[in-house]
Amino acid sequence: MSVKPPQLNRRQRQLVQCAPFNEQRIDDRSMRAAVFRVKKTEAFHHQLAFDQAVANLVQAIPIPHQVTEWLSKGTFVAPKRRTWRQIMFNPVVVAIAIAVGVIAGIFVFKLMERLNEFPGEPTAKRLLSVASSTKTVILDPIKTDAGALSDLFFMKHRLAHYDVPPEFADFKTLGCRVFDDEEAQRIAQIWVVEKKMQFFLFPADRDPKSGAVQHFDGWRYVDQDRWTGVVQEKNGVCFMAAVRGSEKDLAAYVKDAK
Amino acid sequence: MLGDAAKAQEVFEAIMHDAALRAAQGELPKDRLWMFNDARWRCLEVSEAGLQAEEVEMEEHELAATAPAQIAQLEPQQLAVWISGAPDPQRTALALFYLDEFSHEELLMLTELKTPELAKCIGNARQEFQAWLNATVPPQEPAEYQ
Repeated sequence: MSVKPPQLNRRQRQLVQCAPFNEQRIDDRSMRAAVFRVKKTEAFHHQLAFDQAVANLVQAIPIPHQVTEWLSKGTFVAPKRRTWRQIMFNPVVVAIAIAVGVIAGIFVFKLMERLNEFPGEPTAKRLLSVASSTKTVILDPIKTDAGALSDLFFMKHRLAHYDVPPEFADFKTLGCRVFDDEEAQRIAQIWVVEKKMQFFLFPADRDPKSGAVQHFDGWRYVDQDRWTGVVQEKNGVCFMAAVRGSEKDLAAYVKDAK
Repeated sequence: MLGDAAKAQEVFEAIMHDAALRAAQGELPKDRLWMFNDARWRCLEVSEAGLQAEEVEMEEHELAATAPAQIAQLEPQQLAVWISGAPDPQRTALALFYLDEFSHEELLMLTELKTPELAKCIGNARQEFQAWLNATVPPQEPAEYQ
C-alpha cells in the first residue's frame, strides 16, 4: 500500500471523503471516478476499513423485538420512482416507440392506399405500363375531337358507352386503336395532341359473384412508373387519361379528383 | 440518533402510527424517503427535549490502521451514544451514512446538505471518532520480539 496519492481537485477530495463504503451505493459517476483514482492509496484503504468497522458495529446495535416484528428490513424505503424523462429515454421505450411509429406509419400508408383504391385500379395501372411503351405507329392515325370517337368505337367495334368525358372530349386526337388486354377485355386507346396524353377506355370491374358493375364516384388518381392517370367510371366503362408526369399535370383538367 | 433504545422505539411507533393513519386516508407523501425524513426530525425534537450534549471542541486524529481493531472492542451502545452526542446535521449524516442503505444523492436529500458540507461532516467525524477511540481503547502496542 505504498501507492503515491494522486492529485485530486477539491471536488474530488470531497467526493472521496463522503463516498459510501459500500461500492454498490455509489451511483454518481464523478464519485465513482474519484474513488477509482484513490482506490489503491493507503489513506483511502484506512478510510474504507474504518467505515466498514463502524458499519459492522452499527449493524450490531440491537433492534428491539417489537420493532423487528413490525416491519422487515427493506420495507422502509419505497422503490425509486422513475421520472417521465427517465422513462422516455429508456432504450427499451425508445425502441418500442420507434417500432410503434414505423408500424403506425405503415398502417397509415396502407390505410391511405386503401382509401384511394377503386375498382379497376389494377387494370388502370397495367394500362399505364401500356401507355409508357406505346409508339404512335401502332395506332391508326385519326385526327378528330376525342369525344367524336365514341361513335367509331360503337359502330366499328360494338363497344357501347366507350365515351370520352366532357372534360377531355374537345382534345384533338392523333390516333386510336382497340385491342384485347391479357384478361381479354376490350380496351380502346386514344392518343391526343395535348401533352401527348393517352386516353384509355376499358370495362369497369364487376362483382365476381353477382356480375354487377362496381361503381365509384368522381375521378381517382393512379400512378405507375412515372406515369399518372386519372380515372372515372360511367355506365360500366372506365375512362382514364394518362400522362407522363405527376398528378399536377392532370389537376388542371379534373379539379375534384381524389 | 438518540442513543436510547426506548426513546427510539417510541419514535418508531409514532412514525408507524402516523404512516398507518396517512395510508388509511390515502395521503402518503410522494417522497420515497419520507419515513427517514420524518424519523430524523422526530429524533431531533425528542433529543432537544432531553439533556443536551455539551458543545466541546473535539480533538481530531488521523485515521489509523489500527482503527478497525479498536472499533471491534467497542460495544454498539458506545457508538450509538457517541453519534447521538454529535451536533446536527453531523449526527444525521453519520447515522444515515453508516446505515449503509442510501446512495450519495439520497444522503444529500435526507440531510439537506451539499456535497462539501456532507464531506466535512463525515470527514471531521471520522477524525474525531479516531481521537475518541485512541483515548477510550488505545491501540495495542505490537508485541516486541525478545
